[in-house]
Amino acid sequence: MQLLRWVDSNIERIIILVAYVFMAGIIFVEVIRRFLLNEQVAWSSTIPIYLFLWVVWIACAYNVRIRAHLSFDELRTKLSQRGQLLCLLLDGLLWIIFSVIVIYYTAQQVLLSRDNFAIVQGTDDVLQWWFYIATPLAFALLIFRVLQNVAKDVSDYRNGRPLKVQTSMLGD
Amino acid sequence: METFWILLVSGVVTVFFVLGVPIFLVIGFWVIGVSLVIDFTLANLGVTLFEGLNFFGLLALPLFILTGDLIKGAGIAKRLSEVAYSILGWLRGGLGMASLGACGLFAAISGSNSATTATIGSIMHPEMTKGGYDRNFAASTIAAGGTVGIIIPPSIIFIVYGFLMNLSISDLFIGGLLPGVMMIVAMQFVCWLICQLNGWGDLISIDLRRIVKTAIGAWIGFGAILLVIWGIYSGKFSPTEAAGVTAGFCTIVGLIFYPIYRYVHRNKVATPEQIEQEEAAVLSGADRAGIGNLAAEQYSDSTGYLERVVIPGFSFRELPDLIMRSGQITGVLAPLIAISVVMQQILTLLGAKEFFTDFVGGMGGYYAVLFVCMGIVLLAGTILESLPNTIIFAPILAPIAAQFGIDPIHFAVVFLIGDAIGFITPPYGLNLYVASGITGIPYFRLLYYTVPYFIALSLVWLVVALVPDISTVLLVHEGAGTFQK
Repeated sequence: MQLLRWVDSNIERIIILVAYVFMAGIIFVEVIRRFLLNEQVAWSSTIPIYLFLWVVWIACAYNVRIRAHLSFDELRTKLSQRGQLLCLLLDGLLWIIFSVIVIYYTAQQVLLSRDNFAIVQGTDDVLQWWFYIATPLAFALLIFRVLQNVAKDVSDYRNGRPLKVQTSMLGD
Repeated sequence: METFWILLVSGVVTVFFVLGVPIFLVIGFWVIGVSLVIDFTLANLGVTLFEGLNFFGLLALPLFILTGDLIKGAGIAKRLSEVAYSILGWLRGGLGMASLGACGLFAAISGSNSATTATIGSIMHPEMTKGGYDRNFAASTIAAGGTVGIIIPPSIIFIVYGFLMNLSISDLFIGGLLPGVMMIVAMQFVCWLICQLNGWGDLISIDLRRIVKTAIGAWIGFGAILLVIWGIYSGKFSPTEAAGVTAGFCTIVGLIFYPIYRYVHRNKVATPEQIEQEEAAVLSGADRAGIGNLAAEQYSDSTGYLERVVIPGFSFRELPDLIMRSGQITGVLAPLIAISVVMQQILTLLGAKEFFTDFVGGMGGYYAVLFVCMGIVLLAGTILESLPNTIIFAPILAPIAAQFGIDPIHFAVVFLIGDAIGFITPPYGLNLYVASGITGIPYFRLLYYTVPYFIALSLVWLVVALVPDISTVLLVHEGAGTFQK
């Protein structure tokens, strides 16, 4: 249980950190190597792109969790408590519908890529689908985060606590 | 019949937008709805969410975001602000002009408007409030100052534009340099004028020693700026590589110098509680007169501005939070890019290109086309976020402009200045939101003092549009465009 809770609060963080550090690290090290030693591995311009996919879609789910996706929230903040809850439920519903569609179609791409043994350019045995699968997995995680948020919003509403309708903008 | 359904879908998603549904979803549902109406396969959505981001040049985006966060986390943004203030503080409105200058310096490391506003704003807004400026004016100033974030290279939107239009990102970066500087100078003039009229701001005497001292204190920031500009301008690195090198440089230098500076300044460091108290007092806006007096005391000893020493750099333990923050912002912007690419594809299927070619092309003539395009960008920028605005309209308008003999780099710069101005135009002006978010001042109250900045930026925009050389003159050199996308 404790392990689950830890995974719940850290999963996005760990994936994003690992993928980001390797993405930036590979580019940095390879540029320096090219500059000083005039050599560079072939996958230094492909693997980082695929790692970027992991960063992007997991962070997309993370932003759902912390409600940081850009939106126009001027009107919403002025609505009644009930109106705000309805808006939040609408968000949740739309996220879920969208995610299901995305999961369905991206999973097809993953399977296609797996069945063709498509490899990452510049490598011999790194399969593309290991990276492509980030998108459907991230959207599955996203649905889970939406459900968590909706549960919290409904409970906030029932207990008369203020609802989190304002996006946490790019500022801290 | 089809038209009716498409309009209905557009109407419904507009309602979503007004109700505050995330923009990513608003575009996403437009894409899904219209795909169903015109019987276009949704498998395309699945493919584009991968392939729309599958481009090495686009990696400059997360890396420049990271560089910006590292510079901010290392306290370098603050030091750059100090340099700007030591140079401009003797003028009326000097602190405001310094905020704008700091925006320009920060923009030369980071590639985002909202990050520039957020970073410089969180440093300079409290200072301006303390220094006797109107709070609303101070907030408008940083919102407007942030617009150069995407014009002065590096720039996230230039990267996306180059990616879409198959132009050299290095050339685009260089094209944005002079217009960006012009924007800063024009806004500084407005700031000076308004402060002169209202008598805002305390003056400090100019002191060469202080300029040198603060400049040395900000050496990591200047190092990063030089690295980016030299790397791209000399053609040694592609923008992505330049971003990687700069991020690496900031990480290594930040980690190495943190313990050293910490040791050197061990007696002068403010405790976190002190910092918090001070900031809370300013942010609440309470008792401004009292704070003003305190500030006046501080300023009177001429070295006053920010006695508190910020240790440049960061410890290893702070690093994950900085990276996480970049990851989070990447997770806001990149999905928006991917989904906007899908929207662009569908608009093309709907014949948007032909429609605009007939409409804009029908105006006839170089200037007519240029001005109509500018009008469209500005108008769209009031409602659309900058990334969708670029991704949707650049592929439509740029080919038309090219037909009428407008230089592609020049057009890109003009297009993106319009896009940047969209950051401070209501109803959807992201910089105004960010400024409102960090200062706690209601959004609509920021609009009043934004108007003069808007006028100044529009004038610069017009000049840049009329004189193509401003965007292209620096391009004539060896090595430019070495790294085609």
